[in-house]
Amino acid sequence: MTPRMQDDSAMPVASAGRRAAAYWFADGLPDIVFGMTLLLFGALGLWWCLHMREPARQTRLDFFFITAGVILFYWKGRQVVDLLKSRLTYLRTGYVQPPEDVWDASRQLISLSLRPGPPPDENVTHFNKRTVNVLQTWCFLFLGQYPWSHWYTLLAMPVLAVVLYALNRNSEHPYRWWSTLILALSGPTLVWLDVPPILQPLLMPLLAGVWLVVQGACTLAGYLRANPYPRAPEGVRA
Amino acid sequence: MTPRMQEISQLDRVIHEPARLAIMLILGGVGEADFLYLQREGGFTQGNLSGHLAKLEEAGYVEIEKKFKGKVPLTVCSLTGKGKAAFTEYANRMLGLLQSSGASGSPQP
Repeated sequence: MTPRMQDDSAMPVASAGRRAAAYWFADGLPDIVFGMTLLLFGALGLWWCLHMREPARQTRLDFFFITAGVILFYWKGRQVVDLLKSRLTYLRTGYVQPPEDVWDASRQLISLSLRPGPPPDENVTHFNKRTVNVLQTWCFLFLGQYPWSHWYTLLAMPVLAVVLYALNRNSEHPYRWWSTLILALSGPTLVWLDVPPILQPLLMPLLAGVWLVVQGACTLAGYLRANPYPRAPEGVRA
Repeated sequence: MTPRMQEISQLDRVIHEPARLAIMLILGGVGEADFLYLQREGGFTQGNLSGHLAKLEEAGYVEIEKKFKGKVPLTVCSLTGKGKAAFTEYANRMLGLLQSSGASGSPQP
């Protein structure tokens, strides 16, 4: 039997943009920055909730704190991530502009490969669409539901975990199943620990923030271990 | 010379060389990339990449700029308009050739 030649011609073509997109997440910094934003604004909301008297609490400003955090991330998150990358990533493994403003010939590249490929422009914005937006919608649905908060807490984190896992499964930035399982179990744990119902909805974005930061930090640690800082040649001083 | 051979001989030789084709493909897919990224992604040596980039720059297909990201200086490469057009033409020509030879569609299992 004659061995068939394997056609790998499509791979580099279809993957040039996707690899650059995956590279954007290789150091875990987008997760860390968004997680920190959630933590900061979630903590502000929690502070508001704990320190305001009942009528002021009813204004639901805690929810607006989270929304403000998400808006801030949309506005400045990219620049902050880029700044951190310029200190940590670009010197180690190089810089590439993530393919969100890619020229139209991406379609041409895919057609040249003679095999349909996923468009490479679903990438960095993709994190915003499939993680940031999901978390914001989820906050919108679950915050401010005090009368049923016990049930909501039981439901909210597993729902969030399943949605995040399912939406990102085939992306450049998938979440590990065991990691999303930890996120899912954090909701029922809050109920089990008997956290006061008024605090539960706000603790959830905080938990999601911690989850993102820890996940990003693990990715960053792995990245830094695999890519040590390039040493200057002998005799050269910085 | 048959028309097909003529068509083959008209392929852009600057792009047709495998290393330069790889550079064009990477840059075409990402917008812009720095020297280190291209080197790692394409598996090039420093000298090899410099040589190929110089040829692409000479042809006007690639633009090489010194940029700062924060305080870090980077040598950033991107395709020029001429480069994009040349690559699109190369792709169309190559695709036409492959299709006319019956090699179109998905690879056979």
